[in-house]
Amino acid sequence: MRQARDRAEETDESPRIGVFVCHCGHNIAGYLDVPALVESARALPGVVWAGDSLFTCSDAGLAEIRAAIVQHRLNRVVVASCTPRTHEPLFQAACEEAGLNRYLFELVNIRDQCSWVHMNDRELATAKARDLIRMGVARAALLEPLSETELPVQPEAAIIGGGMAGLTAALSLARRGFAVTLIEREPELGGILRHLDKLYPTMVDARELVARRVAEVREQANIEVLTSATVQAVKGYIGHYELTVRSRQFGLEMDLPVRAGVIIVATGAQEFKPFGLFGYGDDPRVLTQQELERLLAESNLQSPISNLVMIQCVGARDETHPYCGRICCLTAMKNAMRLKQQNPQTEVYLLYRDIEVHGTHFEDYYAQARDLGVIFTRYTPDAPPQVADGRVLVYDELLGMRLSIPYDLLVLSTPLVPAAGVHELARLLKVPVDEHGFFLEAHVKLRPLDFATDGIYLCGSAHWPAHLDEAISQALGAAARATTILSREQVRSSGAVARVEESLCRGCERCAQACEFGAIEFVELERAGVLLYRSGPSLSQKIARVNPVLCKGCGACAVVCPTGALQASHFTSRQVTTMIQAAMGH
Amino acid sequence: MNFQPIIQKTRAYLCLDCGKCTASCPLARVDLDYSPRRIVERVIYGEAEAVMADPHLWMCMTCGLCSARCPSHVDFTRFIVEMRAEAFRHGERGIYAHNGILQEVMRIQTLNVHQNRTRWLAADMEVADRGDYFYFVGCLPFFDVIFADLGVQALEIARSAVRLLNRIGIAPIVSNEERCCGADLLLGGDVDSFQRLAELNLETIQASGAKKVIFTCAECYNAFKNDYPAFVGPLPFELMHLTELLAPKVEAGELRFAPLPGLVTYHDPCRLGRYLKVYEPPRTLLHGVPELILVEMEDNRERAMCCGSTAWVNCSGCSKLIQREKLRQARETGARLMLTTCPKCQIHLSCAARDLDDEQAVEVEDVISWVGQAIEPQARTENDG
Amino acid sequence: MDDLPKIIAFACNWCSYAGADLAGVSRIQYPPSTRVIRVMCSGRVSPMFILEALRAGADGVLVTGCHPGDCHYLSGNEKAVHNIELARSLLALLGIEPERLRLEWISAAEGARFAQVVKEFTEQIRQLGANKLQAAGDRQP
Repeated sequence: MRQARDRAEETDESPRIGVFVCHCGHNIAGYLDVPALVESARALPGVVWAGDSLFTCSDAGLAEIRAAIVQHRLNRVVVASCTPRTHEPLFQAACEEAGLNRYLFELVNIRDQCSWVHMNDRELATAKARDLIRMGVARAALLEPLSETELPVQPEAAIIGGGMAGLTAALSLARRGFAVTLIEREPELGGILRHLDKLYPTMVDARELVARRVAEVREQANIEVLTSATVQAVKGYIGHYELTVRSRQFGLEMDLPVRAGVIIVATGAQEFKPFGLFGYGDDPRVLTQQELERLLAESNLQSPISNLVMIQCVGARDETHPYCGRICCLTAMKNAMRLKQQNPQTEVYLLYRDIEVHGTHFEDYYAQARDLGVIFTRYTPDAPPQVADGRVLVYDELLGMRLSIPYDLLVLSTPLVPAAGVHELARLLKVPVDEHGFFLEAHVKLRPLDFATDGIYLCGSAHWPAHLDEAISQALGAAARATTILSREQVRSSGAVARVEESLCRGCERCAQACEFGAIEFVELERAGVLLYRSGPSLSQKIARVNPVLCKGCGACAVVCPTGALQASHFTSRQVTTMIQAAMGH
Repeated sequence: MNFQPIIQKTRAYLCLDCGKCTASCPLARVDLDYSPRRIVERVIYGEAEAVMADPHLWMCMTCGLCSARCPSHVDFTRFIVEMRAEAFRHGERGIYAHNGILQEVMRIQTLNVHQNRTRWLAADMEVADRGDYFYFVGCLPFFDVIFADLGVQALEIARSAVRLLNRIGIAPIVSNEERCCGADLLLGGDVDSFQRLAELNLETIQASGAKKVIFTCAECYNAFKNDYPAFVGPLPFELMHLTELLAPKVEAGELRFAPLPGLVTYHDPCRLGRYLKVYEPPRTLLHGVPELILVEMEDNRERAMCCGSTAWVNCSGCSKLIQREKLRQARETGARLMLTTCPKCQIHLSCAARDLDDEQAVEVEDVISWVGQAIEPQARTENDG
Repeated sequence: MDDLPKIIAFACNWCSYAGADLAGVSRIQYPPSTRVIRVMCSGRVSPMFILEALRAGADGVLVTGCHPGDCHYLSGNEKAVHNIELARSLLALLGIEPERLRLEWISAAEGARFAQVVKEFTEQIRQLGANKLQAAGDRQP
């Protein structure tokens, strides 16, 4: 049983630290007493060589470092210069070239955070730099060589969801040469578009559009399509996922293994069915927008319709679904105009709370609808429309009176809500959903198509109700994101990841609860050679294991671990406390 | 470095290599590489340096089961503590639990602090600045903060203690100048900090004029009784656990409790039990509570199994296995509640219990805070109307 | 007291450390009171680091990280809040002035803010006086 410790003795040698203080031209030397800093560095414990150079990052400066490593058998290097945020990789590479592990390097910031900001007090600034160098040297003595993990990438993608978003992403990746497995739970590909009529604003036929795309996908040799297929299990991590997909597409139920380097979630959404609202479910004249479109598409509408009323925000922007459904205004206008164009005599009333249209062409679309004679009547949430005896009653604030509008057809605009089975899928993939049940991206602005878990991407209405053009853009984007992984032979992880000292682990799982990236798993370990208690021989224990590829090195796990089993490599507690002590002069 | 004094002080030369210690040791059962007698032998044979660098040095729980059974009366726990002090001097440390926050809090108390640690006192509690009785609270206020998520409510022990003392007519001194007793630092090899804490506590208690110091923590009590004299000389006051003060009152019928129905079992902390030989007073107290039925675990009193962790050092998977066994013994009595007289035992066992599922779960509470819920007010005397 | 306070500052690699660098690039001057320890995330700063800094004699401890919602590790800064609260509770018990500990959110673009925070905190600590933990006891009865 070994105790985890940070010691230079890891390599069976005591630290031999080289300190290089940079002048950075005038930037540092003009404000700090560099020779004095070199002197004081030389006297620090573990330092066997200290020197200065004009520009340590220059070719000459780097050559000096490499030469010193060899000549003085340095096993740790400290450069006191600018910021690690820009220059650390450069110096690390120099160390590596001289045979020293890149993690045995420390950069002390005496420019951006010292000479440049304390230009008027040479003595105090130098005193600060002296402290900072002492801190850097103390830390360097405790640095350990770390290895970066390289894992091969499976150049294949698994896409869950065969609607427009999934189809688009699949084609995009397949055309780039990657094999794709497209997993669709319905018997047919196409998603929501199979049930729609025309698409705004161009009124192109939805079913034709999606049929074309499906044909393209079917023609693509490197896309394998699994329909009537659902994901049962997901194992693995970026570059190396293994899904178990249950498929009934050949009449037999089979569990198929699917291997992939990345996964794209394009599972779409479903229309909310407002049972109990406005007579939906009881009165056959009350439909949702999708149901209306189905009738339109199949030319099954009993014509003529004299009176058509649409109510917006049904089951949206209320307690049940506090969000705006985004596409319903345009959908309603589209269908309203379709019916109005079919039969100009039809009275069309569209009852709305607010109108959501954006961009130039959608404003025009709205104007077009109004121009065609669709009557837009505004209602407020505290006085919602009511339905009685084939009429819709709505209070018009401008007129100050209640309108009583007869209807032959009452169409309710409801929001898209998460698809069925979302939580189960989220659980299998270990990705989060938001409070509404839509999948949650890694960062709303900076990483909108990524999940926090590496190697899984998101597009379309699975993320948020999307217009078709958005769903397609996102799908192309997700494919591009996926390509950044698939196009590599290997995925490399940083060495500065968390590590578990297994003998100390109690299996309490606090670390996994703190980890946002799903990097910690638990395995059952049989303690070697356990003698018996009367509780019997089964003394296996759950032990934490860190996946170095998924770990981002934030260190949150190390803070919550009660025993110290979890340590954040390169930022261990001892490395930090030694800097604290050094800062105070100890 | 001469290890002879340690060997002689602890009678280690007399080790017969019989193996009774290893056979008794709860740690040796889950870690086959751990052997008390081998540690002793290695030091005797000149391998002290290696022993000081060995993680096993910090794993011993100093529970004392080995010494209790050793036919040569080798004081193994003392041996471990002395070796740790040497190791500490050589820059060795155990692996601190909870990121070392406990050790920080304790060490800060060796410095020039002006603490504010008595705000837990409630308006109905009577305390004094001077008097005969000093209630030594220990680290309870800090445990309350650090272990909030375990639901242990450490300060309930202190509140119950003051209420119980008030109930038997004592207004104890509760001081802001109290420091951590230092036991964990001593067990962690930090002898200098321990020395300082002992000095400061002695000063505080002496300044208060108290003649008796009451403890609700077995470890604090043991530190004062068995360790302080070597560091600060004989103590000019008596020491006792609160249960020792209350037990005679319960027996005499002067202290009564309302019923607390239920089956409970009692865990003898190593310090109160094997070290201080105080077995009966907590039991007497519990027997004095109506409808509370005390059932004994298989290993109780001198044989009681350690709670598995000590000194906030080297808590590990092995500690967890020991705690699992302890909780199993508790469950086997039929009780779902285990009471004890050491807040740290309560914390360690609660921590392990939190990972058990409902049917295996055992609640762990402190004797004082448990009976403190049910204090019956003083009976009226015949003189009252 | 004329002596410059000594403040241990923790800065996270993605936000506040970058903000501090930006102050440098912009040549914004501030007192040389801080000794910055870079961590990957403010959530790495355990309560123990804070207490150790004060025990070692630091006059102040400054913990800086990303603004809420911007943490590179999603919720690391929320964890920092929890850790600082715990540290504060312990400091209160120990009688160490809670003002010696400060938590600030500073983004990579906020160079001026970093400098401002250091100036303010340095002055605040100066007013508070030096950390007297290591001083010879001035124990009251």
